[in-house]
Amino acid sequence: MLALPLLAAAYDAVRVLEAAAERGPRVVEQAQALVQQIERSGTQEDLQRLKDINDFFNRRLAFRDDAVTWGLPDYWASPLESLDKRAGDCEDYAIAKYFSLAAAGVPTVRLRMVYVRARMQGQSLAHMVLAYYAQPGAEPLILDNLRTEVLPASQRADLTPVFSFNTEGLWQGVGQVTAGDPLARLSLWRELVAKVRAEGFL
Amino acid sequence: MSLMRQIAWLVLGVVLAALVGAVGLSTLSARQLMQTQLQLKNADNAQSLALALSQQGGDGELIKLLVSAQYDTGAYEFVRWRGLNGETLFERVGAARAGQSPAWFRSLVPIEAPAGVAQLSSGWNAIGSVELKSHSSYAHDALWLASRRLLAWLLIVGIAAAVLAWGGLRRIRRPLDAAVAQAEGVLAGSYGQVAEPRVPELQRLTRAMNAMVQRVRELFEAQAGQLLVLREQVHHDPLTGVSTRKHFLAELDAALQRDDGPTVAGLVLVRLRDLGGLNARLGRGAVDDVLLTVVTALQAYPESVAGCRVGRLNGGDFALWLPAEGVAAETAHALSDALRASLPAFGPGVQVALGAIELPRERPSPVWLGEADAALARAEHLSESRGGFVVEVVADPSVGREQGEGLWRSQLQEAVTQECGRLVEFPVRDRTGRLVHLECPLQLQLEGGYLPAASWLPFAARARMTAAVDLFAVGLALKAIAADGQARCINVAPASLADASFLPQLRELLSQWPQAARSLLLDLAEAAATEHFERLLELGLQLRPLGVKLGLEHAGAGLAQVERLYQAGLDYVKLDASVLLGVAGEAGRAAFVRGMVIMLRSLALKVYGEGVIDEMDAQALWDCELDGLTGPWVTAALG
Repeated sequence: MLALPLLAAAYDAVRVLEAAAERGPRVVEQAQALVQQIERSGTQEDLQRLKDINDFFNRRLAFRDDAVTWGLPDYWASPLESLDKRAGDCEDYAIAKYFSLAAAGVPTVRLRMVYVRARMQGQSLAHMVLAYYAQPGAEPLILDNLRTEVLPASQRADLTPVFSFNTEGLWQGVGQVTAGDPLARLSLWRELVAKVRAEGFL
Repeated sequence: MSLMRQIAWLVLGVVLAALVGAVGLSTLSARQLMQTQLQLKNADNAQSLALALSQQGGDGELIKLLVSAQYDTGAYEFVRWRGLNGETLFERVGAARAGQSPAWFRSLVPIEAPAGVAQLSSGWNAIGSVELKSHSSYAHDALWLASRRLLAWLLIVGIAAAVLAWGGLRRIRRPLDAAVAQAEGVLAGSYGQVAEPRVPELQRLTRAMNAMVQRVRELFEAQAGQLLVLREQVHHDPLTGVSTRKHFLAELDAALQRDDGPTVAGLVLVRLRDLGGLNARLGRGAVDDVLLTVVTALQAYPESVAGCRVGRLNGGDFALWLPAEGVAAETAHALSDALRASLPAFGPGVQVALGAIELPRERPSPVWLGEADAALARAEHLSESRGGFVVEVVADPSVGREQGEGLWRSQLQEAVTQECGRLVEFPVRDRTGRLVHLECPLQLQLEGGYLPAASWLPFAARARMTAAVDLFAVGLALKAIAADGQARCINVAPASLADASFLPQLRELLSQWPQAARSLLLDLAEAAATEHFERLLELGLQLRPLGVKLGLEHAGAGLAQVERLYQAGLDYVKLDASVLLGVAGEAGRAAFVRGMVIMLRSLALKVYGEGVIDEMDAQALWDCELDGLTGPWVTAALG
């Protein structure tokens, strides 16, 4: 069997900074800001956390197509990759927010990535947002990059949810994840989660 | 453990390790692959089911229907819909499928794929999660089948490898065994060569051994050659090449003493008359030619009959020893005729007188010589009147038992079967006086008394009974050895070697006395080495493992002519009295004996001396470094 590094399933600020250092000094600066934000958010209410993290990424990342940023039709970037490029498309915002909130202490069971259909100026658009459920059956709060304020779902009539997912159950029964197993990373989402874990989030 | 067995085990171990390792590793990696695939299948199926369920607008009945449909059309252990708080809202669970693989295999290589989980939603509302798990028994079946197939293939390959390795080992083993046998042979004093094998390492080893053996042979042959020259100088008359007076008398004594000769033998004396007168008349050179002509006529006998001896007793006196009964007169007449035909060519006045006698061999040598001289004197006296070539024959009136061979045979048979016989014991001692072993000639009870071998052995040989007699003697010796633990030596007749049944019977007898057999020595006459060499080799091969020692007795001048003595694998040699008698008085004889000892020692043989009569000779022989002596002096002085 291959000896693979076993990654502890927890947020680790030191590893985040190390991973950032490998990408260069510009990323370190951004990562330090993120780490500080996560640290601040750690002591706050969920609502404040949502607002801070939402603003953090909405401010720092410019919306840009994957084809321009990465030269690929679709690429799911980790928070550090997005900060490196200072840009991302809809799922990159949602991803960065999801893992930053998880790092700040929001239980992932309350968070869901949601595929939505967005209507903008009469056009339909495939889009992704992050939804926060304060209670299991409650109406979620939506973190979006199209409208930068955190709003309840009922106030987002422009969005039609299609399907949602999160990291719950992804590693059920395994307990630990091997980062090098190519077969365990066949989907974009799984591959991304493995990458993000290696960077010290989650 | 032997080298071959170690290699065989090693090969077996390597094949087994490769087999187990290959099957084990392949099974484990296949299991890993299947486990991962199953896990992905669980996760992906959960996701796609969740995708479908999320489009049903939260209608519980529809969701249950879809869950049932998924469960029914796939191979799932369970498909479960959980509520927001983890409670089960609906599930389909089936009994675990048995599968074809045995339980021990499933517990040895378990395939544990976790259930796949995906979130459900209806619009913005979360409505729980879906969880499903596929049967792993299909994966186990496939793994079981693949492992068995692999094992079968590897077994076939392993068996083929083992068969090949076995063949290879046999190929190595044959030359290796040959090399080991050669090395053991060298250790036992048998310097044989073996064919070079094709395996390079063994080839070098065998080549080295062969070269070593070859060198020993050359050394031996050089020594033998030197000895022959020395013998010519010491024992033989320089002019005629026949034995000198001294040597002939020693040969005569030895021939009279040995126990395997005929009961009655003959002696012919030939005298070239008036040697001084001939010298004066014809000149020395011509007389030498006359002498050579006489010798040529005499030499025809030893050249064609084993045991015949020719000697030059004095200037014109020659003697011919005939180890056979009833041939003396005939021989003397034949000699006379031959000389009568050839000598007149040298001129008139060349006269020869012949005296022939036939006596029982038990008479001492002075009687023999006296009788022969008397006969010769009468012949000379007659030739005074008749001139020319005269023959006078004297036969002892007591000669010749009026008994048929059949009677002898039945008496011998009776003596052997009823075990009417005994061993007489003559000690062989080393120079410190320690007893080396006992020489034990057999005496058989015939006609009421114990008779020595000399009186019945010729009849036994003619009746082809020597094998039975020798086996009887060996049996007696083994019993005696078992009783007192003293090493004993038995004579084996050359005729016994020629008997095909002798060796198996001897082995059988020896195997009954394994302990005593280690202290048994077997004496064989020189004739055994010259006439039955292959038999001698066979005897050595078969008896050596039992601890029996083999040696030649009455070894003398003929020893140097024994071809391949270095190959015979003997333990000792007993030098004949004819070589040893009188060594004290003559430096040349001593030098010859010393040469013999050195040559035989180089073949790792022990050397004993036979028939030592006086102390002077004994001392001289000790100086020649013999390992032991026997004979009247040893029995008397040290007994």
